[in-house]
Amino acid sequence: MKMTLGKFNNLDTIVHRIDSRIKLIALIVLLVSVFLSYGSAYMNLVVYGGIFILLFLLTLLGKTSFLLLFRSLKGLWVMILFLLILNIFLPSASASESMVLFTLFGVEVHLSTILNVSYILLRLILVLMMTNIFTSTTKPMEMTYALEWLFYPLSLVRFPVHKLAMTISLALRFIPYLFDKTNQIMKAQASRGVDYRQGKFKDKIRAIVSTIIPLFLSSFQVSGELADAMEARGYDPDAKRTRYRAYRWSLKDTLSALVVLLFLGGMITLAVLKPDIFVAMGMTLPQ
Amino acid sequence: MPITLKNISYTYDRGSLNQKDALIDVSLLFEDHCYTALIGRTGSGKSTLIQHLNGLLLPDSGIIDINGQVIDMSLVYKTKKGKTVVDEKAMRKKHKRKIKEVKELRRRVGLVFQFPEYQLFETTVLEDVSYGPRNFGSSKEDAEKKAKEALSLVGIPEAYFSRSPFELSGGEKRRVAIAGILAMKPDVLVLDEPTVGLDCHGQESLLALLKKIYDSGTSIILSTHDMDVVLGHCNKAVVLEEGRIVSVSTPLELFSSGKYLEDSAIEPPKVFSFARSLIASGLAIDINRVKDCRSLAEEIVRAKGGQRR
Repeated sequence: MKMTLGKFNNLDTIVHRIDSRIKLIALIVLLVSVFLSYGSAYMNLVVYGGIFILLFLLTLLGKTSFLLLFRSLKGLWVMILFLLILNIFLPSASASESMVLFTLFGVEVHLSTILNVSYILLRLILVLMMTNIFTSTTKPMEMTYALEWLFYPLSLVRFPVHKLAMTISLALRFIPYLFDKTNQIMKAQASRGVDYRQGKFKDKIRAIVSTIIPLFLSSFQVSGELADAMEARGYDPDAKRTRYRAYRWSLKDTLSALVVLLFLGGMITLAVLKPDIFVAMGMTLPQ
Repeated sequence: MPITLKNISYTYDRGSLNQKDALIDVSLLFEDHCYTALIGRTGSGKSTLIQHLNGLLLPDSGIIDINGQVIDMSLVYKTKKGKTVVDEKAMRKKHKRKIKEVKELRRRVGLVFQFPEYQLFETTVLEDVSYGPRNFGSSKEDAEKKAKEALSLVGIPEAYFSRSPFELSGGEKRRVAIAGILAMKPDVLVLDEPTVGLDCHGQESLLALLKKIYDSGTSIILSTHDMDVVLGHCNKAVVLEEGRIVSVSTPLELFSSGKYLEDSAIEPPKVFSFARSLIASGLAIDINRVKDCRSLAEEIVRAKGGQRR
């Protein structure tokens, strides 16, 4: 079945059923874990591999499309190439001390250069995987709720948490509208001979302008109408409100929270102690 | 300019969770210089069908012949494990090739979307209307000439030409948007629910404009829920239901038979129902002459022996 990357996938899996607040905290913990340093280059790869396996399992459990994720990485080839060229021709000071793998156009390509590029790519893939799992298993409204809950402490210093959450929620709800409207305007302009695929650069810019201006105008109009409709129904952003759907903390949420905490603890320990399992096993790896 | 559709099928989001068969095996002929209405409930496939007429959507299967320009998307088959199946790869290639060929079609079949005023973007009315002809290769002078003609046809005064299109009223914006299509000199004008959102006066003047365009030799195809428009203006009514054509007839035949009306949530025009009640009450009215209130009044006068106050 075809799905869009990052779009909520309305299924009933164990990952879907986990409280959105836990999922949001897990996402933050995982994001931090991916950007921590765990000592040697090989240890970093081992930890990233572990996170990859965890995310792979979550992808399977949440029935998220793996194929779609990797299809979306197709567009990253330019970036990979750019990173490789940049790292090969402008190596860091430490890279020149590393083992030379091969020579390219008279320039030595070091092992640490390849490892550096691999890190960046792995980090990117992992970030994409985790955000994809989060967004495709969490309803936009639940996401808003989780954000509001997370920002709650800020309300003690009079930060407008509810307004921020409502703004995010409305912005999320507007995404499908914007997609539909863009499609509609593009078709209308195509009827007037606009060619979005071919033509000179100047024509393409003009084609984009012919889409963006009507899109902005209709979006402003619809957002104005929405604001009026909310006011007409008595919406008061400063009012104290209850929730239509009460979120109840269950045993599985406690277990999920424990898993997240354990994971966080493990990652912090690894980052602080920086143990090297390869040294412990008596292995000498090329540097 | 005749348009022939042969066994057209189209599915939205094929292979996705939201897959929807919008058109199923549709065959239809729009004769040269026709005024055709496409009717049916929301989601019946009217807008999808309309978008096939100028190549904005290409059918998954079937053939569209627009005055000799053929979009042949007839299925390509292959044998796989002893079974004959549709060759999806060959169909995708065919689709890509056809997309490149449809640009000229868009000039010949002008399509006016619902709320066309939302497509305006230029700084002046004249520039916006010139935009279409310029995209089809007209010089600046020629495009402006065509734009001025189109604006005059839709009744926009010259004083408005240098104004921003966003300063105009809703009805005026719609006229300007229609002029933007007319300036491309299409042989067929296709409109998706053109009267939606207009007040009574706006509707009347828009329909009068369409009549003028039709009288000038341009075919008109419109989708609508307004049965008064169908009875009063169109010479052919096509009823769509769940992506299939269930009836092709004159509006009078459609409303007289009553068939398909309930299934397709179509209510005959009030003037038509009233005329039928009068006939049932014994008044000798010729129903074939009833198109609107005025023609009904004339029929009543005629049936009563031509007595006028």
